[in-house]
Amino acid sequence: MEKIIAYTGYKKKDFSACLGCKICASVCTLNDFSMHANPQGLLLKILLGDNTITDDPLIKNCVSCYRCTDACPWQIRVPEVVRAIRETLELSSPFEKAFKGSISIWGRVYEPYIFMNAIGFLIKNGYLKHLMKWTEYISFHLPHKIKRI
Amino acid sequence: MEYSYYPGCSLTGSAKRLDMATRKILLTLGYTIKEIPEWNCCGAVEYGNKEELIRLSRENLKKAEAVSKTIIAPCPACYRNLKESNRDGDFNIYNPLDMFNVADINKLEIKKDLKKMVFTPYYGCVLLRPKETAIKNRNIIEEIITNFGGEIDGEKIRDRCCGGNLFFSNKEMTEKCVNLIASRSKGIFVVYCPLCHMALNTFSNRKVVYITNIILYMLGERKNI
Ligand code: SF4
Ligand code: SF4
Repeated sequence: MEKIIAYTGYKKKDFSACLGCKICASVCTLNDFSMHANPQGLLLKILLGDNTITDDPLIKNCVSCYRCTDACPWQIRVPEVVRAIRETLELSSPFEKAFKGSISIWGRVYEPYIFMNAIGFLIKNGYLKHLMKWTEYISFHLPHKIKRI
Repeated sequence: MEYSYYPGCSLTGSAKRLDMATRKILLTLGYTIKEIPEWNCCGAVEYGNKEELIRLSRENLKKAEAVSKTIIAPCPACYRNLKESNRDGDFNIYNPLDMFNVADINKLEIKKDLKKMVFTPYYGCVLLRPKETAIKNRNIIEEIITNFGGEIDGEKIRDRCCGGNLFFSNKEMTEKCVNLIASRSKGIFVVYCPLCHMALNTFSNRKVVYITNIILYMLGERKNI
């Protein structure tokens, strides 16, 4: 829990600023799809050190839209809290891992590398059927390794 | 005055066309830009550790000093991360949408208008939220379209989420978001974010274009939108 809080860039006491007004829940994108998301509940769990956060629908589904932040009287950045939880629990997908792998090798994203490293994931989860629509995004370029300057 | 230009990974790869179009329009509007030497990835939204994410963009700010402390960053994710890492406020960071204003475009030679065409301006999330890092003119896409005779639809969904952030981890969410957006709007989607472009293009059957396509079309640099 300490690690999660440290990753968010907030201090523990910042979580107690939440008023419990649930304006965030009323605008949350997930609730357009009746997914019973309650960002306020998630913040409270972190404040209380409640380990059931892993089951919260936001962990899997929060789309980082910042609608909650925009509406919140304290502009609390719930999506950054969710990302901190995902990182701590090591929930990133093989694609996301390959993305970071590319950054650590070249300092930049190199799509062919990511594609090759995540190919199993992409096949298994039915991404390849979109390839026809992706032709316009494919451009040939060589990887560029960042020099230290 | 010379501006630092931060293309970022999308614009050197999958959104190469957005890069070329943006550079061309900035040049036409009279901006002199120079790419930041040896820039690194901004980390997009892939880093759960905020400090780690900020550090990547802070590197880029340092590298920008070689050109100018006024930076133009087209990709909304890069733009936002740069702005977030500019904690001391030493740098001025803009999105090209801050530069594309109607008054300046009007001074150019406009060869075609947008009459009888219907568009859904679509901003998505990062360009408008959080407030601290939002673009200056939150209606810029609408202003450009209506000023040149185009019709607007989908006002209510212009800032709904496309779900693009989960595209490569949980694409069912992306599909749901796009379905909602598509069902509440009509016409050609006009975006500026490479991820919105990809999400809308993948899961809807509508045409999706960048606002730069529209500007270049009006300038006679493109045959079609
Ligand atoms: S950022 Fe996440 S929690 Fe906040 S409104 Fe969007 S989906 Fe809901
Ligand atoms: S809107 Fe902000 S203050 Fe209100 S419940 Fe949500 S997080 Fe707490």
